Amino acid sequence: MKTLSPLNSSNPCLLKTHFLKVPIFNPIFKFKPLPHNTHHARIAKVPSFTMNSKLKSSQDINNTGKKSVSQKIVLSETSPPPLAVDKDGINGGSGSESVPVSSKKKGGVSGLAKKLSKKVLQILSNLSLAIGEMFTIAALMALGTVIEQGEAPDFYFKNYPEDHPVLGFFTWRWVLTLGFDHMFTSPVFIGMLALLGASLMACTYTTQIPLVKVSRRWAFLHSAEAIRKQEFSDTLTRASIEDVGTLLMGAGYEVFLKGPCLYAFQGLAGRLAPIGVHISLLLIMVGGTLSAAGSFKGSVTVPQGLNFVVGDVLGPTGFLSTPTEAFNTEIHVNRFYMDYFESGEVSQFHTDLSLLDMDGKEVMRKTISVNDPLRYGGITIYQTDWSISALQILKDNEGPYNLAMAPLQINGDKKLFGTFLPVGDINSPDVKGISMLARDLQSIVLYDKEGKFAGVRRPNSKLPINIDGSEIVILDAIGSSGLDLKTDPGVPTVYAGFGALMLTTCISYLSHSQIWAIQDGTSVIIGGKTNRAKMEFPEEMNRLLDKVPEIVESSSSQQVDTITSG
Amino acid sequence: MIFSTLEHILTHISFSVVSIVISTHLITLLVNEILGFHDLSKNGMIISFFCITGLLITRWILSGHLPFSDLYESLIFLSWGFSIFHIVFCFKKHKNDLSAIIAPSVIFTQGFATSGVLIEIHQSAILVPALQSHWLMMHVSMMIFGYAALLCGSLLSVGILVITFGEVIQILGKSNNLYFLNESFSFVEIQYMNRNERNNVLQKTFFSSSRNYYRSQFIQQLDRWSYRIISLGFLFLTIGILSGAVWANEAWGSYWNWDPKETWTFITWTIFAIYLHTRKNTKFESVNSSIAASLGFLIIWICYLGINLLGIGLHSYGSFTSN
Repeated sequence: MKTLSPLNSSNPCLLKTHFLKVPIFNPIFKFKPLPHNTHHARIAKVPSFTMNSKLKSSQDINNTGKKSVSQKIVLSETSPPPLAVDKDGINGGSGSESVPVSSKKKGGVSGLAKKLSKKVLQILSNLSLAIGEMFTIAALMALGTVIEQGEAPDFYFKNYPEDHPVLGFFTWRWVLTLGFDHMFTSPVFIGMLALLGASLMACTYTTQIPLVKVSRRWAFLHSAEAIRKQEFSDTLTRASIEDVGTLLMGAGYEVFLKGPCLYAFQGLAGRLAPIGVHISLLLIMVGGTLSAAGSFKGSVTVPQGLNFVVGDVLGPTGFLSTPTEAFNTEIHVNRFYMDYFESGEVSQFHTDLSLLDMDGKEVMRKTISVNDPLRYGGITIYQTDWSISALQILKDNEGPYNLAMAPLQINGDKKLFGTFLPVGDINSPDVKGISMLARDLQSIVLYDKEGKFAGVRRPNSKLPINIDGSEIVILDAIGSSGLDLKTDPGVPTVYAGFGALMLTTCISYLSHSQIWAIQDGTSVIIGGKTNRAKMEFPEEMNRLLDKVPEIVESSSSQQVDTITSG
Repeated sequence: MIFSTLEHILTHISFSVVSIVISTHLITLLVNEILGFHDLSKNGMIISFFCITGLLITRWILSGHLPFSDLYESLIFLSWGFSIFHIVFCFKKHKNDLSAIIAPSVIFTQGFATSGVLIEIHQSAILVPALQSHWLMMHVSMMIFGYAALLCGSLLSVGILVITFGEVIQILGKSNNLYFLNESFSFVEIQYMNRNERNNVLQKTFFSSSRNYYRSQFIQQLDRWSYRIISLGFLFLTIGILSGAVWANEAWGSYWNWDPKETWTFITWTIFAIYLHTRKNTKFESVNSSIAASLGFLIIWICYLGINLLGIGLHSYGSFTSN
């Protein structure tokens, strides 16, 4: 009488694993064979974490003789991997054995320091603390946008007076002592950011990195009961576990089959990517600190045709700022010009720059515009602004005279520049003259000495205009270029952090799904869970399981289902 | 000339179609469920999607640059983002549940944009020099998709809060029903057991609490949808912020200026990071995170519209007063 038991099923090689697919993580999938009773400790209890690592190392020494730590996931004929699911069990007996061992090794003072640092680490990696910190930082930032930044103390005396304070208690004393007038560089804010950085580091060290080890350890479930307890579970009568395995492989899972048990997972990167997110945030913080402490900034408005030396313009921002050789470069503005739309609005402004070194030799020449800066020797020159510096005119064929233009205040964003050519006696208190206004370098509007509109001239036309008996020819409108210069040593770090953050945030959107299955007689019990895509998972599983072929036995006498486990 | 009339026609078509869709949803909700309406609402949303797409393309052709330059265009883009999300989820899930939330969002954003408030910005404007960059495409589109997704997700969370607290108030009122439960599971705890445990628990209870079961199932679904959409939105927001920072470095010389708009976007990012982290603590995951997401809803509107309306800072070309 043949009894069908799971061990004698169609699989002849019961103890050898079927190596179905090479996982991408293979090279780092160091499969360490661990003894049976080593559960992975829950990392909230930091002391047991460190003891666990010591425990592993001593066990490693014992185990080197036993089996080969191979790169491929092929098991040999000896004992299987740990059977227990890696849940939140605390290392019980084996952990407590090593407590007296490890405590003996520690000295007095260093032991105290270590305990203190463990305690601090434990506090810092608390999630609620981190959430509180983030919330505080958000609130401080919001406050920083509401309160005017960077004004003189007088402003705060006026707007947050003590006799009728805002919200009943908020006076200028609060603002100035806490540094809210320069919120984003104030000690309170920087301190909160530093605390958040410390929390990030602590959390990454204590919680996330061990997560890598946990999630890499795959463990089979050997009881149908355990599988039925999963979030999604199903039973397929008359199916074979190899078919399930093949289908899962086709769906992109990595499948491991050992005897009647199957384990498959997908999207492991989605579980590990948050570590990358935290590390890239730390990188950005480091880069930002470097930028704030070690860069040079400056801005200058240079009329066309003049030069300036880089070192005269740049000023340091922090204590790490050190000037470089490139600061001796002299910059010559060859030409400044603007492009216009058909409606007359400014479309783009350009500056043709030559860089000359100390010997006067030209080392670089480039035309810059907005969104197109010049980079040389770590210094970056941006085109940010423009103005008109002077008008070159001929009066009664005498000249050329350069009349300096001054900016005039009008509402809105537009610019207006004006200049004045006196007519008659200059020393009289009531001197009148010809006014010339310009919105851009294209056209100049002229007014006579009564203030009446006289005409419009374009600088290149060389057309004379007769006002109050004088003949004016506008030769040229000389613009000046507004340039911002900067060196920033933190930029490569910050850019690296940005790129890493974008990438790891994308990857952490993936969902880590795990599936276990057991062949029980002719039926397959399958169960699985996922950490993010909880909505789509059951549907995806159902679709997959619909495709599993049903095994119809030709001789139906052996349909005694010996269900061994409840 | 043709393009501008085409633009007008498309605006009006999409507006009317979406209002029809909303009316059908209201009728379904208040009066009676008429089966033909499901298809009608689905097709209606598809039509409005194509209309808005056409609208954006005509504006693009008309003005010669991508339709991102001011508040009106970005609002139209936002409603386009909403309809894209609706289409994607509609086809993936073969269900129209989200349409009830997304359709009113589409119509409100588009209505606000088209309304008389912004009438002077309807004409497509030229791009100022600072905006003439390839980064414009990536930064603004990512930000607006991010806002659209986060708004959807936070609306779902607001829904969760409304249902949860409505139920709690009801349960407190009818507290004698709870004595029938063999084990004293609180309503909130019922949601966090997995499917099998919940089946076991609720099989032991009386029929009167089966309504609680369906409601808790619904809340769980909303919760999971909200989580998924907000994660996607967070991803887009992150990419948008970072590309904006890189662009700022290329254009203005520094990647972070504590500009009001930048600061508020960072605040939004922080709030949604808080949302994602409150879900780690599984005890009260849905309620706490819903509170965070609802806060996020308000903050997105402050960030998107409030700053632009104030017209301060480096982002002032999105405001009214700059014209």
